[in-house]
Amino acid sequence: MSTPARRRLMRDFMRLQNDPPAGVSGAPTDNNIMLWNAVIFGPTDTPFEDGTFKLTIKFTEEYPNKPPTVRFSSKMFHPNIYADGSICLDILQNRWSPTYDVSSILTSIQSLLDEPNPNSPANNLAAQLYQENRREYEKRVKAIVEESWIYQTSASTPE
Amino acid sequence: MVVGGRGTVAPPALVSRFSPDMADFHYDPEKNYDEQTLEQQRHIEQEVASTQALVSERLSLNQLIKDYSMEDNIYQQKIQDLRSRYRDIRKTRGDGNCFYRAFGFAYLERLLHDKSDIPRFKEVVNQSKTDLVALGYPQFTLDDFFDTFLDVLSRVESSCTPEELFDTFNDQGVSDYLIVTWRLLVTCYLQRNGEFFANFLEGHRDIKEFCCQEVEPMNKECDHIHITALTSAVGIPVRVEYMDRGEGGLVNHHDFPECSKPAITLLYRPGHYDILY
Repeated sequence: MSTPARRRLMRDFMRLQNDPPAGVSGAPTDNNIMLWNAVIFGPTDTPFEDGTFKLTIKFTEEYPNKPPTVRFSSKMFHPNIYADGSICLDILQNRWSPTYDVSSILTSIQSLLDEPNPNSPANNLAAQLYQENRREYEKRVKAIVEESWIYQTSASTPE
Repeated sequence: MVVGGRGTVAPPALVSRFSPDMADFHYDPEKNYDEQTLEQQRHIEQEVASTQALVSERLSLNQLIKDYSMEDNIYQQKIQDLRSRYRDIRKTRGDGNCFYRAFGFAYLERLLHDKSDIPRFKEVVNQSKTDLVALGYPQFTLDDFFDTFLDVLSRVESSCTPEELFDTFNDQGVSDYLIVTWRLLVTCYLQRNGEFFANFLEGHRDIKEFCCQEVEPMNKECDHIHITALTSAVGIPVRVEYMDRGEGGLVNHHDFPECSKPAITLLYRPGHYDILY
C-alpha cells in the first residue's frame, strides 16, 4: 500500500541516487522500504578517514513527520555514539524537522564524526580522551577504522 | 475528562514504569535512554489517538457540561457564558498539533462556503515557499508538503464537500502533512521577522533555534508567539476564547491580530484548542 511515508522514502531514494552527497550512500533493504542500510565514509583529514561505517535506518509510517531510528552496525569510538551503535544527535531527537530527508540525515551524521559534542557524551571514555588526550583518542579511532575494513571484507565474503 | 494537549493525560505506562521499581533504578550514562523516551512518547500518543478523533463532528456545546463536575462552579459558569454566544464545538485531538489542526480545519471549512479568499491565500502560500528556499530550506522536501497542501486547497476550490474535508482531516497521513505546512509557514514568518520576535524569547535561544525546537517538530504546542506569527503570515485573523480557572464567571477572548475582525473562533482550555461555532 502506498502511504505518504512510503512515497516519500521512494523519492528520498531516487534523490540519493540522482544527486548523491559526497561520502555517504544508502538504500532500502530488499523486501522492506521501511528498513535501509547505509554507509558513511570517514571524512578525509580526520581520524575517521578511510573508515567505511555501516548503519541501519528504521522508519515508521510517521516519517518524515517523525525521525527514523538510526544506528551504527559497525563498531564505533566516538563521544556521541553509544555502545549499541545508537547516536546522540539532536536532529534525530528533539530538533527533528520534517524538511530533513535521508540525504541530510546521513550528511549530518558524517559531520558529527569530526565535530563531536563532548558535553553530552554517550561514550564517556571517548569524550574524556577527546578532551584530554587527543593522541590516544585518535589511536582508538584508528583501531575502529581498521576494524571497519575487516568487517567489510568478512561481510562481503560469500557464505 | 480529557482536557489538554500532549502529556497532560497521565499515561499508565509512565506511572507503572517509574513507581515502585524506581528504587532499583541506577542511571547508566553509557546507555541510550533517548530511544526509551521516544518509545514512551509514542505509547502516549497511541493512547490519545485511540480515544480522540483528529477532528470531531460538530457537537452541541452542552457536551462540555459533562466534561466537568457539576460542583465545578468556575467552569460550569463559564460554559453558560460560552453558550450565550456560541452553539457548537468541534473538538480536535490533544496531540500538540491541536492549534494548527483546529485553525486549518476552521479556515478551510470557511473557504468551502466563501471561496473569495482562496486566490489571495494561495499567493501567500506560494510566496512563503519561495521565502523558505531563500532561507536555505531544501526545495525537494518543501515540495512534498506544499504540493499536498495546495492540492487540498485546490479541491476545496473546485469540488470538495464538507464530508470530504472532514475525511481529509481525519486521514492522518494527509492531515499531518497539512500540519507540517502550517508549521513551515510559521517558521518562515518568524525567521523573516526575527529581529522583532527575538524580543519575546526567553533564555539564550535565537529565533532560528526556537524554530528548530518549538515550531518545526511535530507535536510541539502553540504559544502566543506562534499564533501571532501564523495569523500575521497568512492574514487570517482568529479569536481565541480563553476558558481557564480564573474567577469572574466570564470567558475572556483575545483577537489575533488585535482589533481585527476574526474569521474563525477557537476555544482554549489550558493546553488545548478546539473550534467554536
